[in-house]
Parts: sequence; structure tokens; C-alpha cells
Amino acid sequence: MKANTFKRGVHVPDHKEITMEKPVVEMEQVSDYYFSCSQHMGAPASPVVGVGDDVKRGQLIAAASGGFSANVYSSVSGTVKEIVRRKNARGINNDYIYIVNDFEDRTAVLPSIEPTKENILNRVFEAGIVGLGGAAFPTAVKLKPKTPVDVLVINGAECEPYLNCDYRLMLEKADEVVKGVKLIATALGVSDIYVGIEVNKPLAIELLSKFNGIKVIPLKKKYPQGAEKQLIYACTGRVVKTATLPSDSGCVVQNVATAYAIYQAVNEGKPLYERIMTISGGAVNQPKNILVRSGTPIKAILDFCGGVKDNVTKLILGGPMMGQALENDDVICNKADGGLLALTEEEACRVEPSPCINCSRCAQHCPMHLMPMYIDFYTLAGKYDMAVKYGVNDCFECGVCSYVCPAKRTLVQSIKLCKGKLKEMSAKK
Amino acid sequence: MNTKLVYSGSPHIRSNSSTRRIMLDVVIALIPACVMGVIWFGLRAWLWLALTVISAVVFEFLFNIVINKKSFLQCVREFDLTSVVTGMLLGMNLSVCVEWYVCVLGSAFAIIVVKMLFGGTGRNLFNPAIAGRIFLLLSFTSMTKYMAVGDVFGELTIAAGATPLTELYTSGVANASLLDMFIGRIPGTIGETSAAALILGGIYLVIRKVIDFKLPLIYIGVTGLLTVAFYGFDFGMFLPSILGGGLMLGAIFMATDYVTTPNTKLGNIIYFVLLGALTAVLRWYKSSECVSYAIMIMNMTVPLFDRYIVNKPFGAHDKKKA
Repeated sequence: MKANTFKRGVHVPDHKEITMEKPVVEMEQVSDYYFSCSQHMGAPASPVVGVGDDVKRGQLIAAASGGFSANVYSSVSGTVKEIVRRKNARGINNDYIYIVNDFEDRTAVLPSIEPTKENILNRVFEAGIVGLGGAAFPTAVKLKPKTPVDVLVINGAECEPYLNCDYRLMLEKADEVVKGVKLIATALGVSDIYVGIEVNKPLAIELLSKFNGIKVIPLKKKYPQGAEKQLIYACTGRVVKTATLPSDSGCVVQNVATAYAIYQAVNEGKPLYERIMTISGGAVNQPKNILVRSGTPIKAILDFCGGVKDNVTKLILGGPMMGQALENDDVICNKADGGLLALTEEEACRVEPSPCINCSRCAQHCPMHLMPMYIDFYTLAGKYDMAVKYGVNDCFECGVCSYVCPAKRTLVQSIKLCKGKLKEMSAKK
Repeated sequence: MNTKLVYSGSPHIRSNSSTRRIMLDVVIALIPACVMGVIWFGLRAWLWLALTVISAVVFEFLFNIVINKKSFLQCVREFDLTSVVTGMLLGMNLSVCVEWYVCVLGSAFAIIVVKMLFGGTGRNLFNPAIAGRIFLLLSFTSMTKYMAVGDVFGELTIAAGATPLTELYTSGVANASLLDMFIGRIPGTIGETSAAALILGGIYLVIRKVIDFKLPLIYIGVTGLLTVAFYGFDFGMFLPSILGGGLMLGAIFMATDYVTTPNTKLGNIIYFVLLGALTAVLRWYKSSECVSYAIMIMNMTVPLFDRYIVNKPFGAHDKKKA
């Protein structure tokens, strides 16, 4: 199969076989749900329900504050017990709406609409849809680009190892996904639609190729194939300039799961409150692909998958390359989280970093063509302005440099530190 | 859940490469050439190789324990085989005719002065083995006396310093057949003579993706072709000039040392072209082996390469037009 790709990057063992053949099952309900007001990038939503209120499944419980924010919906019916502050996956305190489930599933739906450009855009915002590829960027913002766009790229690459949530979605809900894609195209007013899928998902490629109006592009299995700029390059050959948005190059990228969410919001009146999640890793007793309601505690999800083995060393929300390690299992799953991994000692490499030997593998593999060894060197030396010269601001923290480093240097951490320090410095000015 | 979880930044999985594994690959790749050295130059060659390797490791440990105040166990844990590679390369760069203390002194200079004083692994300006060899060349005349090959267990017979390469440059004809030069049945240092074994090691390194096959080829090609050009386009010079001396060892194992090469692909290509040219010019000018001097001189230019040749970020190329 002829496959497109981008330059550089790295081949990572994908471990997708663990859950690749497992159909999506719906997770059973638990009694306690916590809904973060900050499940998206941007301003936190403000709660619109009070303690003691009765809520339905699919009822608005926190409203977006401003345009760069997203609505939050309840995924169960029940009573609001409390509005609490608790730590999110990153260890930052957020407001959470604590709802006790009554297991009745009284469901509210949004009114049905005509799928016109205006209506779709409004519904995407109303339904609280965010990018489900991982960053949780408010989709409504992305669908209103400031510059004219002519190409829509749909991300079905799923290059993160272990995860199969997008793959299972494409297999099981191909019709709905494609309808969702067409809705996005209507909202943007484009007719050129590319769907990029890595060649390790031949069934998905075959299935989606049957639909008219979309061009399925087989992509090489290479990490980070699903990164926005790399995907655009692989599908369209366009190079997104540094420090510009993809829309400046006439492209908008959306994930397949986002397309499905948009289909559900527009055609079924269902806001975004649940998604498919892959629970995998060597330390999970029963790896599964499950449909999870947002606000479910991680502990309940792991229990649903048979719990974790004793040799678990790392819990990760998201994929192993860019996901967030968890301090403990007392964390809540948000609406954009697509993976939960429990890795064993052997899988999660824990080696002390040793001195850089200048092998330049990080620079040879960096998908943004940066020189991570110098960013690391100058960051550790406190010379953040020199790190800028070597491209720290263009880094999207895919983790390729740290992955390939034979000296096991913590390059991504240095880059994150440097970005933080640069932000601090510019705030002072 | 009772287990303590590890809380650290992404990525959470790592490739299985390591500094130690890379250095082990280099050691494995050097073994054929060492074996050939022992076959042609006898057990004394084996002893000298063992002596340089052991003393290199001992000096690294001593420095770490005495100066860096590390515990012995910590040294063992951090031991990354780089000193073994340095010791092997230094031993391969010695003539079997040197005295035993020359081996130890060379290791001491390479490890303590060139490597550890500059900050240890990854911080040295010069390739330690090259610098050690040059230190010994300038200090001991026995370094330039070579043994005639063949008498494996016999008495040491010293031929007065004429490798096929020097013969080639002084009289215009190499004093050995191409086949002898290829398999290493010629006077020379312990590890440099057998081109076949060195190429075999080089192929192993390329397969293991430790080195880029282009770089030694560029070096060898440029040196050979320029030599041909300097001697009135006499293409008979090509093979003897690349097989007769230390070029194979230098190009495959010494010049490709990660620490002392530029960090970009473009920089590396320019670096190796210049290195090849410098080697040819120095050899032509001095009428003798100059690979190690060329590498050492070019080592000094690496910071310049890294300063002025920097990868452009993906998408940065169009910035000026916009």
C-alpha cells in the first residue's frame, strides 16, 4: 500500500494488538461522578446548578465563560451533592461538580436543528464539544478560522501506542463518523476532505474508502503521524509555517472522535458527555475499549477492567508518549481523555539520565527538526534565550527526543521547564 | 491500590538504546580488527591491547573515585564502556614495538587529561584515543618503529618504520601487494592494518545504526581521490593510499566518534569532506601518515560547525518570503 508520511519521526512499538480486536463495551454506572469545570483548554466554565438540584443526563451543569471555553454537561441523572475543589490529573486544583447518580438515566436532549452552517457552529459550541485528539481545544473556536480555509484534514492516524479508541470508533461507527465529517465540512464551507489513517489499521482504511466525498490517505506507521502539522504535510503536502496556525495554510484538522461527537450533537441532540476510551497496558487485568461517561473516577474504570496487577508502576491518562502520569488512582476522567494505561516496570522505562554523548539522534528524529540537545543544555544552564534559538517555542512535546535518547536524558522535561520559564520572563516584562 | 506509582513527565516509554549498548556495539565491531592484529603481530599485540583497555578503565575509576568523590559502586553503575572503547582504539593505534609503560602512559593521558579533565563522557574536545596516540607519537620514538609481520610466536624483529603508506609517498610504490594490505599482512599499528576486518566492523556498526555509512565513505573517498589528483591523476594510488595506512581505522572508528563530530547531517557531511581533504593534503605535504593529526585538527572546528550550522525548524523555510 502506498503510504504518505512526514520527514523524521520514529518507529515506536505500538502494542495496539492488546485491545485492537476488542469491541467497545459500555461501562456500567457507578454512584459518584465529578464533573470538572475545566475539561478543556481555555477559561473554566462556571457552574449553573446549585447544591441539591436535580439534574438529568445531558443537562447543562456549567456554562462556558466566554468564547474560548466550553459547556459542561452531566453524564448521569441524579442530585448535585456539592461543588468541591480537588486535584485534576495534572495536580492542579479545579472546581468539580459532585453528582450522586440515581441510576435512572433520565435523559435530556437538545432540540433538533437543520444542519446549516450557522446551526452547526452554534450547536458545536452549545454541546460543549472539544478536540478529542488529546488537547481538548474548544472545537467551536477551531471551526471559525480567521483566514479562509479550503481543506479539512480528519485525523484517524492514532499514532500513540496502545490506544485503539479512534480505531474502534472508525470500525463500529463508520457511517456516523463520515456524516460528522461532512457536517464539519459544511460548517467550514470546504469540499476537500482528507482522512489520514495509519497503515496498521487496514480494516479502517478499507471501510472508510467506500464512502464518497472523502479521500482516505493511508499513512506510514510512524510517530507522531497524528500531530497537526505532520498530518497536514503527509495528507496535503502543505507546510505550516512556524508560529502560525494550520488555518493560515488553509487547513483545519479534526479528530475522528470529534467528528463523531459533532454528528451526535447535530443529529441526535446529544451533547458531549461520553467517549470511547482504551484501557490497556501490561498491568491491567482485562484490557478493554469502553464507552466512558465523563466524570467517572479512574478507580472505577480500573475496577471495571478487572483492576490492576501488583506489578503496576505507572498509571497514565492518555497515551504513553504524551499522556499524563498519575500520582494515584484518585483522579477523575474528563470528556476528552481517550486512554488510560497501567504500565509495568518493564514497559515504563525508569533509567537515570546519563551525560549527553552528542549522538544527535534527538535532532535526527525530531518531527519539527529542532535540536533538543541544545535546548536541554541551555535550559539546564539557565540560558533560556539560547534555547529559543534552537526552537524551543516550536516544540509540541511529542516526546520523540526523549524516546530515542540513548543517554535517557529528560529532554521533554527540560523543554517544558524552559517554556515555563520563558512565560514567566515575558509576564514580568 | 497499595502500590506506589511512579510520577514523572512524558514520554513514559523509552527506546531500548543506551550509551552502554552503543559502546558495546563499537567494542564488538573492533574485535575482528583486534583479532587480525593478534594474528599478524603475535601475543604481544594481545597483551598491549589488554593493557591499554585495563589501564584506561582503571584510570577512569581512579579519577572518579579520587577527584569526583564517587563511590566504587556508583562508578560501576555508571560505567558506560566508553573507556573500554578508548582503551581499545588507543591499543590499536600503537605499534607492537612500544614498551609496556607506553601503553599505560597513553591510557593515562587519554583518559585523565583528554577525557576526564574536560568533564568526562560527552564533554571531551578531542577524541581521547587520537589525542593519546599523538601524545605518544611526540614522546616516544618506538611509536614509529613497526614490526614485520608473520612471526607470531617468534622473536621481535623490528623493521625501521616503513608502512606501505610511507613507502608509497616516498618512493611512489607500496612495498606490499593489495591483497596483503586488504587482509593486513603489512607493517603498521596493531589495529590499523587489516582493512577487511575494519570494514567488517564498519558494516556491523552501520547495520546496528550506530554510524551513518555515508560519513566514512566520504572521508575515505575524498582522501583517496585527492591523493590521486595530487600525484598527477595516477589512479594506481587510490587503493594503496586508502588501504596502506590508518585511514580505514580513522575513518570508520575514530572520526565518527559522536562527541567530536558536528550535530547536524549537513554539518557532518561538510566536516567529513574537509577531514578527507585535510588528510590528503597533510599526507602529501608530510609524505607520511597524518590521519590522526587531521582528525585532531578537525576536532577543534566542531564547536564552529555546531554554532553556525543549525537545523531549521519544520516550516521555518518560508519565513523570509512571508
